Amino acid sequence: MSTAEPAPTYEAAVTRIEEIIRRLDSGQAGLRETLALVKEGRDLVEYCAGELDAVGQGLEELRLDDLVARLEGTQGARSDA
Amino acid sequence: MSQPAIVAAPPESDLPGPYEVGGYAARLKQELQKFARVQLVGEVWGLRSSRARVYFELRDARGALPCSMWSSDFETLGLTLSDGMKVVVGGGCDYYPGSGSSSPSFTFAVSELRIAGEGDLLVQLERLRRRLHADGLFEPQKRLARPLLPRTIGVVTGESGKARDDVLAGLQRRGWAGRLVWAFVPVQDRQAAPRIATALRDLAAMPEVEVVIVARGGGSLADLFAFCDEALCRTVALLRVPVISSVGHHTDRTLIDDVAAVCCSTPTHAAEAAVPIDCTAARADLLAAGRRLNVHSRRAIVERVRTLERLAAAPTQHIARHRRQLHQLLRELRASARRAVRDGRSRSGVHAAALERTVERARGSERTARARELQRLALALAAHDPQRTLARGYALVEDRAGDPVTSSAAARVAHDVRVRFHDDVIDAEVK
Repeated sequence: MSTAEPAPTYEAAVTRIEEIIRRLDSGQAGLRETLALVKEGRDLVEYCAGELDAVGQGLEELRLDDLVARLEGTQGARSDA
Repeated sequence: MSQPAIVAAPPESDLPGPYEVGGYAARLKQELQKFARVQLVGEVWGLRSSRARVYFELRDARGALPCSMWSSDFETLGLTLSDGMKVVVGGGCDYYPGSGSSSPSFTFAVSELRIAGEGDLLVQLERLRRRLHADGLFEPQKRLARPLLPRTIGVVTGESGKARDDVLAGLQRRGWAGRLVWAFVPVQDRQAAPRIATALRDLAAMPEVEVVIVARGGGSLADLFAFCDEALCRTVALLRVPVISSVGHHTDRTLIDDVAAVCCSTPTHAAEAAVPIDCTAARADLLAAGRRLNVHSRRAIVERVRTLERLAAAPTQHIARHRRQLHQLLRELRASARRAVRDGRSRSGVHAAALERTVERARGSERTARARELQRLALALAAHDPQRTLARGYALVEDRAGDPVTSSAAARVAHDVRVRFHDDVIDAEVK
């Protein structure tokens, strides 16, 4: 059975990054914790950057009518087959 | 004509009667006419006229009622009605009992009729609003989590309206350029509400759609009435995706605004609510966060290296510090020793001088005593000096070895003796 964690949301990732930076700014984290937090933070920054890239490549406009028609066409073809 | 069937025994029943139907119909007419006269609001459908009366149906989403009005009364109004027109009618229930040759019919006998005004619509709207609220339909949408950065947004709006451009402008202002799924629908005619509801259901069925905007520009309340449709509002309330409405303005709030997750005053604001963050600013924030993480990472290493260096140098510094202290102590010790020697020497000199003086004092008195004693001894010794005896005329006999011969026998034995006088020694032979 897969135990993979669910993909984080952008807002959860941003919240966690803020928590990590607050913890690091406090100066209370030891070396091991600091390195672990930095790694986690970098992964989250990378994830967020990916999410921002996904909505920064250029507007893609679709029409619901077309999507529904395409879906119905696919289903019709299947039933014919 | 066929022979009537043999009348069977009446079926057993607990109900009263049987009564004549005509009498019952007349009684029904009387009872219906007792209903209170009221005003009703609805849409006119199927208007037709006969010589004496005009007939139409009054409909809304939940039901319909056949209506009739005397033609003379209707003509006095001077109105031209068409299907779908919203009207308010006043009147009461009536029933035509029919006859042996004509069919019975129920009708709402209209004595007053006017085109529905905004006030009528508001009353109707408020009643529906209370009902939806009582059913708890204002809350489900507001409990849905709205994504901060949706990748796909659905938009339900009119294809040719200005709302479409406003939505695009709002998204552009956010720096958002993801995927938009447009659902173009009529936004004010009679078919608008079911079409909007269908579009919303279809958009919600797409897993990638994370939020839906329903937008329409301003208009009169009558124009916006499609967005107050009860079935549409119930559909919106139960959708899995959050709906952001921008229909009308604050002065003419529609019911979809009440059930939606968020209600905005303009389509531009609705677009901004769909993407709550400014993507450009978010990129800058993310960059800053990345830099701070790097700073913390470097600082964590560098500071600890410095600490380790400091700790590593500590024993050496400690030893050097102690060495310096020891050297200082040694210098102080030497100086102290020199001072002590010098002081001791000084004190010894003083003591020595004092001692010398004491010795000298002691030595002087002793010498005198000794001289006196010596003199006394010399005198005593001189008294016993044999030389003095010899000087008085005595002589001393000695053998050849110089030993005194003290008897005549010893003299005979020695034979050769020496006789010592005070002035000289002579040899002698004993015979």
